[in-house]
Amino acid sequence: MNADYINPFIESAVSVFEMMLGCQVKRTGAKVCESFAPQFDITGIIGLSGRATGDVVISFERELALLATEALIGEKPTDLSADVIDTIGELTNMIAGNAKASMEELELKLALPTVIVGKNHTIRFPSKVRPIALAFESDMGYFNIEVGLMESACVEVG
Amino acid sequence: MSIKVLIADDSGVMRKIIVRAAKSSGVDEIVEAVDGADALAKFDQEPFDLVLTDWNMPNKSGLDVIKEIRGKGSDVPIIMVTTEGEKGNVLQAIEAGVSDYLTKPFEAADLSAKIDKFVPV
Repeated sequence: MNADYINPFIESAVSVFEMMLGCQVKRTGAKVCESFAPQFDITGIIGLSGRATGDVVISFERELALLATEALIGEKPTDLSADVIDTIGELTNMIAGNAKASMEELELKLALPTVIVGKNHTIRFPSKVRPIALAFESDMGYFNIEVGLMESACVEVG
Repeated sequence: MSIKVLIADDSGVMRKIIVRAAKSSGVDEIVEAVDGADALAKFDQEPFDLVLTDWNMPNKSGLDVIKEIRGKGSDVPIIMVTTEGEKGNVLQAIEAGVSDYLTKPFEAADLSAKIDKFVPV
């Protein structure tokens, strides 16, 4: 995968956390991987299509998910409720959407986000995609972002 | 004077954020819609002073909502609140008849300022 596609996601995550949650974020690592095994408790997935296609997978620590929900709606949930699932879907949507705006040349379109709850799940990217995994720490807890984008071989015209 | 606002977003959390901003701007009547089709059905049932809509929603998109409301001849102010920040998307929304545009992420004050523009003091 083209490494140039990674910076927009890092910048977007920092911006979304600062503006929506009032929370500082620092990237702590990056690596190329074969498949994705979320380390954390709740995961948002969103598809991108256009001159490149693929997925963005963002996995959040439970406490971060609860604190982020509290920051957005003003009350802290006690479990991974519908509000928490909505929060993770919306943060995933914003991080991917804000990053895509920085890559206008790819003419990307966003799918609707999906949220998976539970630690023991694995998400596999298509075999041709070598996703890049980014690890972050924030004032509210840990999360990671995996981006697997492949440039399209051809684009429909007309 | 009573102000009635329609808020369309498939995210319950985002609707809560917008409802809070609208209430702080003095809006006293709020109707929520969970997608574009729901928004259009509710728009047909009663008059509104302001509409806030997301772009990416199931069933009908926010862009469809704007086009259909303008197609009915309504000039109600419509604010698009969306992650779709590319110039091409903003232009599409302007061509469809959007009144204002706010890109996510945003500061709470930015959302309140957009609502305040269309809510009489």
